[in-house]
Amino acid sequence: MSSLQRIIIIGAGPGGYVAAIRAAQLGAQVRIIEEQAVGGVCLNWGCIPSKTLLNLVDLGERARHAAAWGLTFEGQIVFDLKRMMARKNDVVQSLVKGITTLFKQWKIQHVAGRGELVSDRQVRVTDPDGGTSLLDAEAIVLATGSSWPQMPQFPIDGQQVLSSKEALELTDIPRSVIIVGGGVEGCEFACLLSGLGSHVTLVEMMSTLLPTEDEDTVAILTREFKKRKVQVYLNTTIQDWQTTTDGIQATLSSGESVIAEKMLISVGRRLNSPGLGLEAVGVQVGVRGEILVDEHMETTVPGVYAIGDVTGKSMLAHVASAQGKVAVSNAMGTSQSINYDVIPAGIFTLPEIGRVGLTEQQAHERGLPVTIGRFRYGGLGKAQAVGETTGQFKVIVDEHTKKIVGVHIIGAHAADLIHEGALAMQGGLTVTDVADMIHAHPTLSEGLMEAAEDIEGLAIHQARKRS
Amino acid sequence: MEPQDLRYHKEHEWIRVEGNKATLGISNFAQDALGDVVFIDLPEVGASLAADAELGEVESTKATSTIYSPVTGSVVQVNQELEEHPEFLNSDPYGRGWIAVLELSDPKEVDGLMTAEQYDAFLTSHE
Repeated sequence: MSSLQRIIIIGAGPGGYVAAIRAAQLGAQVRIIEEQAVGGVCLNWGCIPSKTLLNLVDLGERARHAAAWGLTFEGQIVFDLKRMMARKNDVVQSLVKGITTLFKQWKIQHVAGRGELVSDRQVRVTDPDGGTSLLDAEAIVLATGSSWPQMPQFPIDGQQVLSSKEALELTDIPRSVIIVGGGVEGCEFACLLSGLGSHVTLVEMMSTLLPTEDEDTVAILTREFKKRKVQVYLNTTIQDWQTTTDGIQATLSSGESVIAEKMLISVGRRLNSPGLGLEAVGVQVGVRGEILVDEHMETTVPGVYAIGDVTGKSMLAHVASAQGKVAVSNAMGTSQSINYDVIPAGIFTLPEIGRVGLTEQQAHERGLPVTIGRFRYGGLGKAQAVGETTGQFKVIVDEHTKKIVGVHIIGAHAADLIHEGALAMQGGLTVTDVADMIHAHPTLSEGLMEAAEDIEGLAIHQARKRS
Repeated sequence: MEPQDLRYHKEHEWIRVEGNKATLGISNFAQDALGDVVFIDLPEVGASLAADAELGEVESTKATSTIYSPVTGSVVQVNQELEEHPEFLNSDPYGRGWIAVLELSDPKEVDGLMTAEQYDAFLTSHE
């Protein structure tokens, strides 16, 4: 393998930019083509913007609670959405700049424009002015991601009907919002908007919020939504809607009518595989338009790789990054396979959710006999001290091997705390390994130890269960 | 000693019967065991409940507990004030901390609940 392998990456989101840096670290000459913004949806219009805003809402809500604990403020705590958006833009710009600096340090050439395959070794770039150029490489990585939905029944106008992209640009807090979709994005926005003071109505087609999450997590989140006065309609769709002088009037499948200033569409995402020249080169796609790849992230055309959302494997930024590292490692001649067994994920509702592995229901569906350990945040000294008593740790354990097969946390810092569970699963540890490890006091991490101990009914700070 | 004019359920709810209606709440023992209540999930007006059925949920800084209906009936009124002031469950469990009013389906069921004296004995035996 030549030490000057040339690699082209199309798309500079969390898959593409990570792949670019890793490829350069491994000695490749890298060019990365990006049509919109370095960092992709995640950094510019998704994960990072929403977390920046949610953090301020959380801070404001905690400050209001803290008045009862002796931290008082002169005057009201007010959410100034214009300044919050400016802060969000600062965070995004600083992170984008960080990536472009890394590109420079690793001598990665950033090409602004739209990339498309001409052959298995050549890419045509159409720059923003319409000019084109041809680039050659020994390997090509497709990392074009996904886009906001364009559903004919809900055309996004950016004024009254929004996607998350427009919702993250609002500078005035809407009085009321209908959110269509109770998945991850819909639930996060329900927290953000209700926290800002909007009256939120959430309409979900399925029988539960977050249909793929563990039922304990969902039950606690559903209760939190009641606290936030988010009106949730399950098993419900929008039958019909129209714009009025005040906003939106929607008729639900239940026959009820809901009026709101704006409507946010949080249903599904489109994979960005059309227009990439895949057919001409022979790269095969599946029924959803997902680019088919093997465990090396290689497409049906040798030397052409695909990673991230566009492969339809997972819609998580960190999975795209992991796939990117695997793809370029293979392109550089070191064989690596992707492993999807342990994928921790965070959902940034208020409170936060962290999850890894099987849910209890999935374990039952697979006929896997499991035992369950639970521990509530309220039992932790640290949780009491910091006033974060809502939430639960849940550990799911294979009854025979005692290995941890799933961990589900809802509560403060859950998305950070989940990684101890993920590491335990990655290392094939038993629940006893986790229970026996000394956990620092006072920390929220003790919750996972107590939930692990609860498997044997040995959690210390838990009310004695009557036998 | 608990209020004499009430009847008590083994899950630590109380009811006050007036005609065919009963006001219910949680006992002083229950609120003390729960600790500071931060949220109560109230039942819906109109909901039908069987005796011993789940009526709602109460969350404190220590625990989340189910509230059971001591009797069969339908909910005719709920204490909306608790949405903003769940702490009334702690400060005044038999007064401003009332949870709901039920219309009784079978007033005779009340006879099966504990008197204040019996409930006190029940608490002592479970200490």
